[in-house]
Amino acid sequence: MSLLPHQGRRRFLTESFCGLGSLAMASMMAQERLRAEPNSPLAAKASHFPARAKSVVFLFMAGGPSHLETFDPKPLLNKLDGQTRPQEFGEAKYQFVSKEARLLGSKRTFARCGQSGIEVSDLFPHVAKVIDEIAVIRSCYGDRVVHSAAQYELMSGRVMPGFPSMGAWSIYGLGSESDALPAYVVMPDPDGALEAGQPMYGNGFLPAAYQPTVFRPGDRPVLNLGLPAGISSQDRYQTIELIQQLNEASSAEEQDELAARIRTYGLAFRMQTEAPEILDLNNETEETLKLYGVGSQPTDDYGRRCLLARRLVENGVRFTVVVSGGGAAMQQWDAHKDIEENHLRMAAETDQPIAALITDLKRRGLLDTTLVLWGGEFGRSPEAQAGVGRDHHNLGFTMWMAGGGVQGGRVVGATDAIGLRAVERPCHFRDIHTTILNQLGLDQDQLTFPHLGRNERLTQVHGRVIREIL
Amino acid sequence: MRRNFTQLLVGLIVLAMPLVAAAESSVDTDGIAFFEAHVLPVLVRRCYQCHSDSADQLKGGLRLDSREGTLAGGESGPAVVPHDLAKSLLVSAVRYDGLEMPPDGRLSDDEIESIERWITMGAPDPRDETANPEKNRFDLKTGRDFWSLRPISNPPLPVITNPTWPRTSIDYFILSKLEQAELQPSAEADRVDWLRRVHYDLCGLPPTVQEIDEFLSDQTANAYERLVDRLLASPHYGERWGQHWLDVIRFAETEGFEYDRTIPDSWRFRDYVIQSLNAGIGFDTFVREQLAGDEISEEDRRLQVAAGFHRLGAVRRNAGNQEVSGSRNEVLTERTDIIGSAFLGMTVGCARCHDHKFDPISQRDYYRLQAYFAASHEHDVPYVKSDNVEAWKSETTRVQREIAELTQLLANKGIAEEKATIAKIQTLAKQLPAAIPMVSSVRNDFAKQTPIHVLRRGEWAIPLDQVWPQPPEVLPLGSSSVAPRHASMPRTALADWLVDRQNPLTARVIANRLWHYHFGRGIVPSPNDFGRNGMPPSHLELLDYLACRLVMSNWQLKPIHRMIVLSSTYRQSSEMANAARYRTIDPENRLLGRFTRRRLSAEEIRDSMLLLSGQLNREIGGPSVMLPVEEELVKQLYDPSQWKVTEERSQQARRSIYLIAKRNLRLPLMEAFDQPTLQASCANREASTHVPQALELLNGRTSNDLADRFASHLAGLAAGDSQSQIELGFRMATGRSPNPEEVRLAKAFLERGAHREFALAIFNINAFLYVR
Repeated sequence: MSLLPHQGRRRFLTESFCGLGSLAMASMMAQERLRAEPNSPLAAKASHFPARAKSVVFLFMAGGPSHLETFDPKPLLNKLDGQTRPQEFGEAKYQFVSKEARLLGSKRTFARCGQSGIEVSDLFPHVAKVIDEIAVIRSCYGDRVVHSAAQYELMSGRVMPGFPSMGAWSIYGLGSESDALPAYVVMPDPDGALEAGQPMYGNGFLPAAYQPTVFRPGDRPVLNLGLPAGISSQDRYQTIELIQQLNEASSAEEQDELAARIRTYGLAFRMQTEAPEILDLNNETEETLKLYGVGSQPTDDYGRRCLLARRLVENGVRFTVVVSGGGAAMQQWDAHKDIEENHLRMAAETDQPIAALITDLKRRGLLDTTLVLWGGEFGRSPEAQAGVGRDHHNLGFTMWMAGGGVQGGRVVGATDAIGLRAVERPCHFRDIHTTILNQLGLDQDQLTFPHLGRNERLTQVHGRVIREIL
Repeated sequence: MRRNFTQLLVGLIVLAMPLVAAAESSVDTDGIAFFEAHVLPVLVRRCYQCHSDSADQLKGGLRLDSREGTLAGGESGPAVVPHDLAKSLLVSAVRYDGLEMPPDGRLSDDEIESIERWITMGAPDPRDETANPEKNRFDLKTGRDFWSLRPISNPPLPVITNPTWPRTSIDYFILSKLEQAELQPSAEADRVDWLRRVHYDLCGLPPTVQEIDEFLSDQTANAYERLVDRLLASPHYGERWGQHWLDVIRFAETEGFEYDRTIPDSWRFRDYVIQSLNAGIGFDTFVREQLAGDEISEEDRRLQVAAGFHRLGAVRRNAGNQEVSGSRNEVLTERTDIIGSAFLGMTVGCARCHDHKFDPISQRDYYRLQAYFAASHEHDVPYVKSDNVEAWKSETTRVQREIAELTQLLANKGIAEEKATIAKIQTLAKQLPAAIPMVSSVRNDFAKQTPIHVLRRGEWAIPLDQVWPQPPEVLPLGSSSVAPRHASMPRTALADWLVDRQNPLTARVIANRLWHYHFGRGIVPSPNDFGRNGMPPSHLELLDYLACRLVMSNWQLKPIHRMIVLSSTYRQSSEMANAARYRTIDPENRLLGRFTRRRLSAEEIRDSMLLLSGQLNREIGGPSVMLPVEEELVKQLYDPSQWKVTEERSQQARRSIYLIAKRNLRLPLMEAFDQPTLQASCANREASTHVPQALELLNGRTSNDLADRFASHLAGLAAGDSQSQIELGFRMATGRSPNPEEVRLAKAFLERGAHREFALAIFNINAFLYVR
């Protein structure tokens, strides 16, 4: 079994020693398509039915952005500011605030935007301009009101760690479209970690091939893609070649697994040579950089990561998570102390980059096949915490989707008059998951993996596709 | 919400019509849903304290925790008369109309209205067995006839036609099936291949060149036997097989979830496992100690460490408002499910919300199993004796007080003395005694016993009947009787039942695990699932034979290992004798007509690289090691200060079982090579093949550091002699000498002086990464 299936082993060896540049080598290896490889766990697989989306980008607003300050205006809440919650709205459990807490009106102003006239708050002047691409789901809800459990549920449909994330399920279902890049990428906020930690993005009980690649901040985001100090690409290539030759010399035996391992080295080299170029934002025009707010504050960081997300989508990455928020509560959307200060700051960092991503995907013809999801693990309480903050709130909040077959300019579902509870067309996280799978051409019931005696699914109990926005 | 309300309205309209009886069955589901959503929570929260089986003292003879009790009522008469508000005492009581209940405050109007609406609906109440539609889906008698639930037989050795092949009794079972399939076993493995195989298998490390030479030159008749005995007596045996057990029982040293708190000194549990296996403890004792060590002895720290078994699961903790019952339920669920997976090989967790869909385990069985843990609570005890603790406390207090005084002074003093004072404080801080050694364990606190109820759909807020500890009905009770409701040692009772000779599962499950790790696949290929949804055994008689042997030899594991690795079955080559025929008849090698090649585990890869590079620190036991890792990885911890790198280089070269098992930070190398996620029981590691593995071994920190050292190590052993270095490198990494082509290739490569790259290549070749 040779590194290059269409060439003789010896000829390949001679040529490689004749100083072919690594790029030429890589393009030679381009003949070898990972996704055409039947034994590779990441071989591209057919979807269950025709797909609308090829890729997903999840703009994860960690900590829980307020629906009341963003996409779900509640005039009655402003009227009731300072009062306790009228009984007719029912009960709610919070992490911190008690029953005696007072309702807190919103200081944001809302305007009807775009042709659709969807109300968007003044936190998001840029997103407001692309609102006609966006379907707002105002009736999301989850089962837990604390971060870690809610984050696990948002990512994996289960309130505990150990289950595969939606990204892992997606690449398990569809495989990879890229030989040069990992299929599932997470770009955390460089400010720090989230409560649920790494396990929330993980492959759970799926094989390790479906694990996420977590990008690091800086110029070399992929672990082990860069060479150790003092090693040139040519050196390392020769080492790879030696590995291949020794493998071939040691055994005449044909064995699928061994052959598959031999091939991963060819692919590793390919990734090593091609990925850095894909990940390099210097190839972008001044206009594009400006569009994303790269180079200016406070948008530079999130702008870079959104732009990188577009480049990943362009190059066939299946699932990308771009996290806003990390570290202490105030560095997330977790506005316990002061909703105004927190959300003004967090929105300023993300608004322009997010709008840019949608604009940029659209003008490149990628939005049709890229599903963009925005939201956090919950929303925020109608009641005040510590005077001007808001507590966690899982009974009704907003997420939105754009692209990938989603009809923009629509609103689905509603919370009650103070934004406490999803009352119209409630959408559980599993409905979000089901909709994502559906757009990827995956049937939630068919996408299973046996674990501890059960055929596990992302959506556990049957989720519902949110047809209203498709 | 709106939909439910509409359904409810429809239900009420139907009820108002004359055809009530006919319509009742269709109303029932909605009515029960209403009861569960609006009435039951009120009863549980406001009434159960005095009017249920869990009440300290039942008031007025009234029980509201069952349908019968509610309808029968108490001393004053029936509490609920369906469809009749006026006759239902519950209504007048909650209206404070005569009786004033609950006495500590009137229910809200909504709550009262819900109760009234429910009674008007006919008081649908699922809290009994007949109302449970999931009940009695299976018949216990048929259930007991399933292969894994039948008694373990003691089968005779099968008749075979080639009596010269078998070496140990298991070979008869294997050969018999091969002969039936008209297949020949493969030839015997090369001596070196078997040596390397059995070294990894029993100790997780490759043989050294010296060990290879010794074995090859040992031409005595019992060379194989003596080698196996030596390996089984090696302390590395416990490290290798301890890791298998830790996988099965979801061992980790931190609690996971957001705080990922360290379970105090939980590495002691890992050491307990290693030591117990090395000491050859019987598996029955091993089970008893882990399930009930604290009940066996309150004084013996070793046993309390063992009972730390119950502390190993992930635990969710949160700031702010607590849901005490909900959190307790999560813990009990976790502790129950692991018993099913690890010991019974039954997915009992499936019966938490409804009767098991495939196996004869009812929901009631599930909660009866959970009831063994009703009184178990976390208990951290100092590892040292109590007078030492006192000394530690007083010393700590003394130093802390002095520091406090100086700090106080510091606030009042002028600049001149500041430096000196700070220096004094720093010196004092160093005198603070090290943290006191702890044991994370559990103990029974019967005063805080959680009443265990069957939970409707597994939701803790919807309790049905209360239950007490009892084994699943489908399984024999054995000599252990049903524990009394208030047994003083409930977990001992559970352990005794698990290892009772009549229990058909425990011995089969552990025997199968041994086989699974030796051959890469169990006789039952789903080691945690011996139920109908699992996979059937390929050699049931063999499994029973092993289980029988195990029990008869006092549950000793080492004799079973010995019988397996010395068998002709195990000694077969992995090369296929008649490849084409095998591929058609037995592609997955279920009949074991050859040895199945396997990739090294994550731990074996790292440990071997350490050994090859001359770095491996063979020290046994002790606190866990945290390796230096990418800063970005540590930053992904919610509390990055939890990652305290073990600075000492020799400690960093410990075997992988001594690296901290931290749920929220797994090492990239280990993760890439299929280390379990540490969240749930892992019975069977994947051996996946994907690009990040290649990237990790090519460019990763561990392999590159160690390749450097491997190269110098080789240079040290055979300075300037590339031929010898190649020979040695191959023998160390693959057990065998390189063939001429390998020598030629390596020589050509080394001519460029790239010794380090050569060493790295060795870490990456299949001959190193696989055991054949």
